[in-house]
Amino acid sequence: MRVVIAEDDALLRAGLELLLRGEGFEVVAAVETPDAFLAAVDADPPDIAIVDVRMPPTHTDEGIKAAVAARARHPKLAVLVLSAYVEESFATDLLAGGTAGIGYLLKERVGRVERFLEALERVVAGGTAIDPEIVAQLFAHRRADDPLDRLTPRERDVLALMAEGLGNVAIAQRLVVTEGAVHKHIRSIFAKLDLPPTEHTDRRVAAVLRYLESEGK
Amino acid sequence: MPGWDDGAVRRALRGSLEAYQRLAGGLGTAVLALFTAAGLLVIAVLCLVGIGLPLLPGALAVVRSVAGRERERLSRWGDEVISPYPAWPRGWLARIRAAAADPATGRDLRWLFTHAVFGFLLGFFGVLLPVLAVRDLSFPLWWTLIPPGGVTTSVGIPIHGWTGALSSVLLGVGWVAILIGLTPAMARLQARPGLRLLKPHPSVDLSARVAELTATRAAALDAHTAELRRIERSLHDGTQNRLVGVTVLLGAARRALKKDPATADQAIEQAQSAAEQALAELRAVVRAILPPVLEQRGLGGALTALAAGCAVPCRVSVDVPGSRPASVDATAYFVVAEALTNISKHSHARHAAVDVRQTRDRLHLRVEDDGRGGADDRSGSGIVGIRRRVEAYDGRVTFSSPPGGPTILDVELPCVL
Repeated sequence: MRVVIAEDDALLRAGLELLLRGEGFEVVAAVETPDAFLAAVDADPPDIAIVDVRMPPTHTDEGIKAAVAARARHPKLAVLVLSAYVEESFATDLLAGGTAGIGYLLKERVGRVERFLEALERVVAGGTAIDPEIVAQLFAHRRADDPLDRLTPRERDVLALMAEGLGNVAIAQRLVVTEGAVHKHIRSIFAKLDLPPTEHTDRRVAAVLRYLESEGK
Repeated sequence: MPGWDDGAVRRALRGSLEAYQRLAGGLGTAVLALFTAAGLLVIAVLCLVGIGLPLLPGALAVVRSVAGRERERLSRWGDEVISPYPAWPRGWLARIRAAAADPATGRDLRWLFTHAVFGFLLGFFGVLLPVLAVRDLSFPLWWTLIPPGGVTTSVGIPIHGWTGALSSVLLGVGWVAILIGLTPAMARLQARPGLRLLKPHPSVDLSARVAELTATRAAALDAHTAELRRIERSLHDGTQNRLVGVTVLLGAARRALKKDPATADQAIEQAQSAAEQALAELRAVVRAILPPVLEQRGLGGALTALAAGCAVPCRVSVDVPGSRPASVDATAYFVVAEALTNISKHSHARHAAVDVRQTRDRLHLRVEDDGRGGADDRSGSGIVGIRRRVEAYDGRVTFSSPPGGPTILDVELPCVL
């Protein structure tokens, strides 16, 4: 798999390269500015771009802007954004153009290599990877008389993993239950939250995130 | 003698030395007031013939600037005199109207003429005192050299013979007595019109001052926010990135352990050095928030340690009795650290000096060097950071660095606990 890395911290850039090369990825380019990133993507579009949120010149949200710009030029490009801390508004900006082939993870998730590779593969395959921390934030600001209160604890777990972008098989593995059980939970959740049932994972993630976001406001 | 220990004598001497400096400073503003008053009289005459009016705003600005100098002088000696002026409108007619309506204008003028006369006389006499004293005390040594007939004491009494010459010594002793005994009272007397008239009139609405304080407070909050942002940045982009690096490298190492132990060892080595960098950066961040050395060794010890680490030989003299808010010490420490860094990097100086002293409610800092000067106050240099940090505390920064040197940085920080 071919990957472009945009990360301004030299050590982290080197660490990511080392890790991904060791896992058999082909690192096409590893750059440190948004401009260099866009140039590299334009010159030779990779399968996936890994982008740090804070980059020069202002070190605020350059990475998000660069990722959105890259997606606008190459709609098929999978993008995984890495951030030192999660910021819902960044996630909202990033996901505004759809959830397919988008990931937003805390940087430290990279250290859990298996999960990280899983998320990478999911995003490259056109899926979604949302950091558990963001999902937790979305769950956190709830109001009184919340439909989420009607969910069982297990259903809430399933909902959270769905929001992260996991498919049924992966959810079943995480929760150590059968796929059939996951299926049943999901149907129950959609009924309780009054969401249109959908089997397609992508559309499901979008629906769940939209639901959680609108509920939070 | 009871009550006359060494300390009392030293205090009296120091008191009269200080009073002498005040009188001399007062003489300075009195001379300015004298010239300004003369100028005003000329303009008044020109107004009578109808051509002086456009000159008024300029003249008023001069009066205000002279009054401002006096305010600064009085504030420097511990009696803060708040400036009473509201904001100056645009256009010269509007200015004349605003000045005519402002009670501060009349008070300024009363002060100007009082100070030009009495302040000048007091200052002049005060400054002359040591000269008179020296002249009359040493009179017996040289009076015979003067042709007869022109021989008088400093107050004009003609002297004939040795008795007269020796009696002039008594006169000299009298001058010294006045110098030591009366100069403090004279200095107070000289300062009094300014203290009374240059303050805002009690009836004046202090809203302008309140607005100014609000602005400085906002500046302090801004500085505070900027400071928090700086800390957040250095934690997120520095320390945290290092730690993320550690986890990434450890993750890579664990994966490599199964396939290729040699790569694993390299990754672990890198992870360790990243962890060490994280520690170093964390230390730097903490030190920038509040240097631990301040608490351990006090401001004096901390500054001495700073100077010892300076590439240019640096003399430190610190006279700061009592305690100050921790933020004042931290600001002082930051200012000196920044200034010494500038000196080491850019000045090419051979010597530097740091002087810190505390008067009643102010901390005065001076950092100077004998380098090539020409440092820019505005762009790039650490002076901007110093200014921002000091102004947030309602302090003052004076910076001078002519080409060829010397470079002098003066900083005043209010430090009322």
